[in-house]
Amino acid sequence: MADTTARRLTLAPWMGLLLTVLGVLSNGLPFMGFPAGPVPWISLLLSLLGFVVVLLGLWRAFGQSAVYKGKLSGSIAAAFSLLFLAGAVVFFWSARHIPAESAAAPQVGQRVPDFALPDSTGHSVSLTQLFSGSVGKEPPKALLLVFYRGYW
Amino acid sequence: MPVAISVDPPEVSENLRRKRGYTFPFLSDSKAEVIRRYELLHPRGGPDGTDISRPAEFLIDRSGTVRWENFTEDIRVRPRANELLAGARAIR
Repeated sequence: MADTTARRLTLAPWMGLLLTVLGVLSNGLPFMGFPAGPVPWISLLLSLLGFVVVLLGLWRAFGQSAVYKGKLSGSIAAAFSLLFLAGAVVFFWSARHIPAESAAAPQVGQRVPDFALPDSTGHSVSLTQLFSGSVGKEPPKALLLVFYRGYW
Repeated sequence: MPVAISVDPPEVSENLRRKRGYTFPFLSDSKAEVIRRYELLHPRGGPDGTDISRPAEFLIDRSGTVRWENFTEDIRVRPRANELLAGARAIR
């Protein structure tokens, strides 16, 4: 009797799960003005750290079951954190993996090819036209061509 | 002046432009022709396995010469404003 009441519930699996979830959420940090450079690594590290904490919890629940309880809850937390960790790793690789080599892309000092594309109202606009400026406005000194992934 | 280019159709870009209050032009390269010509294609990078552009920025002067550019290896990592502004200040 004294044995069951003395056993403590280990919270480590849940803390670990929280860390893996935070790891995944931390991918959103650049949207909050955080410098984006280290974010991918921080996210991956948080998720990995979380999973290590989960494993510690499982070791407590199963290996030291005389001291700790929580085999079932620990296993559930572990399953979820493994899922989040897998998601974090897959996202880490897919987000980093940009297959385009862009070796033949315009380099600094080279001239870019002119082109014409429809704007958001459907009217075709060329690079030359963009440089000549709209009516009543001073023509721009420079253009910043921002190629983006789309699907916003 | 910024010019945004993607494979999004004009309606989608117009919607985005209005929602965010952007006043610069958004160009629609739905067949990724210009994206291909600039060698920026990310094959099957879109959500439905469609070909899209990789994120890239070019600062060009009035002669059409590239003065600053940026490619990212990771879609989460984008250039900082001060890097771009340093390139822009060099253009008179």
